Amino acid sequence: MPALEVKNVSKSYGGFTALNGVNLTVATGEIRALIGPNGAGKSTLIDVISGRADNWTGEVRLFDRDISRLAASRRRLIGVSRSFQRTSIFPNLTVRCQLRLAAERVGDRDGDSILEEFGLAALADRNGGAIAYGDQRRLDLALALVGRPPLLLLDEPAAGLSLEESKHLAAHLRTLAQRWNVTVLLVEHDMEVVFSIADQITVLQLGTVLAQGVADDIRRNRSVVEAYLGSMA
Amino acid sequence: MSAGRFLAWVVLASIGPAIAALTTSALAQSLIAQATFSAMFALGVGLLLRQNGMVSFGHAAFFGLPGYMLGALLPLNLLPVEVMICATVVLIGILAFIIGLVIVRAHGIAFGMLTLAVGQAVYEAATRLRGLTGGNDGLSLRLPKHLFGLSLKTLQQPAGMLTVSWLVMVAMLAIVSVFAASRFGILTEAIRDNEERARFLGYRTLLPRAAVLGLSAAVTAVGGVMFALYNAFISPDNVHWTASGSALIMAILGGSGAPWGPVAGAFVYFFLKESLDSFTTHWLSIIGAALIIITVVFPAGLAGLVPWAIALRQREAHIARA
Repeated sequence: MPALEVKNVSKSYGGFTALNGVNLTVATGEIRALIGPNGAGKSTLIDVISGRADNWTGEVRLFDRDISRLAASRRRLIGVSRSFQRTSIFPNLTVRCQLRLAAERVGDRDGDSILEEFGLAALADRNGGAIAYGDQRRLDLALALVGRPPLLLLDEPAAGLSLEESKHLAAHLRTLAQRWNVTVLLVEHDMEVVFSIADQITVLQLGTVLAQGVADDIRRNRSVVEAYLGSMA
Repeated sequence: MSAGRFLAWVVLASIGPAIAALTTSALAQSLIAQATFSAMFALGVGLLLRQNGMVSFGHAAFFGLPGYMLGALLPLNLLPVEVMICATVVLIGILAFIIGLVIVRAHGIAFGMLTLAVGQAVYEAATRLRGLTGGNDGLSLRLPKHLFGLSLKTLQQPAGMLTVSWLVMVAMLAIVSVFAASRFGILTEAIRDNEERARFLGYRTLLPRAAVLGLSAAVTAVGGVMFALYNAFISPDNVHWTASGSALIMAILGGSGAPWGPVAGAFVYFFLKESLDSFTTHWLSIIGAALIIITVVFPAGLAGLVPWAIALRQREAHIARA
């Protein structure tokens, strides 16, 4: 049974069609990357799946359960978690406090273990707004992974990170996804991160799926190279 | 709770009764008693500001409504007076919660305008429903001779009311402090700072925000009850938006960073007002100037001075060690 099925999803902003009949199936435990030029609809698709977007058509299924009409908070409780393009934490709460808040809601009794997992233990008693940007990104990811959600949606997790931090993040994500059996759908512009961790890649262009396949297929796909990758292939 | 903290609460609770016992001036006692009413008003406004990050311009409605409700309900003799007084506070909390389910969906200035609309609707009702409210003449309350085991005379004498109202104020401050430190209080802070993230952690955000408005209104209503019992009178001035504005100034003066901030702000405001009033009729201009200075120099208000002083002392100690 696939972890995630997106069926014929369309979404418009005024006269602009952000998604036009997108279909996507992601297997359990898979890491799927969504790539494409700006305005391709990648973040909109993440918003639709996570419950952030409204007024869209189509269907989203999580382990064959239709979650299309569920509120974002309800989706989190049944296992759809996400991070945001811009770091989204609680600046006035301590790192420990916000992770506990997240853990309590999903019934995770071992909320403090994620502090160690993400190397945040030394910062546990500092406010989220007072730690370095790279640490905030890790906290953001840790908040999304509390309770080991079956489906994790990541919107540009490496944005603003140094090359070294991006590599470390990619390796960590890969390990965690395997260890915790988390299915990951990530939007990312850093192709080094994408090619190093994605099992499958879906290319979006102008709200439609342009291509889909493993990294080597995508690198060789002429229309993908022309539309997006260019010299990055 | 640590022994030191418990002792601090005991000392705080003792200050009011001690002033009542040691001060012979009925005027001073009366002023301090009235300051405690305002402190509870500001405590409610500050709670909303601290936990929800919301500014209310209509809290005077929750301060004045208990008086009007008691004025209307007491002559009916439906229930024991004490029960009616407590029910009034609870009802106002529930009413604010229900209103909150609609208005806390708005943020920033839109929320402020909605609270202003609610407050002014109550003011209009208070001025126009003459048969029920006495209109602009106000409404006198017919209170029984004994309330909560105390004689009405005690409650309406400055020293008696100062003692009772001070203790009630400290109890309200304790309730607000416990709430702020609770898991639910921390959740509301999280929602205040980043509502979207809270939603994506699985929390529904509307109910906690409305609950804070309900609790904030109930705390303000307790101040309103004390005011009504002391004066046995309520008028439209008490529900006017300018009263809400004054409470907001008290909360900003004191700072909403700590629960006690608005209480301290209310006392400073009250005594500044009383002191300046004897020198000039333009006392509000001086308070306005003080507000501008505090907002610019100490945006965290009086409550922000304590952590600032601690940080300064630690830095000095660090420099001395180095």
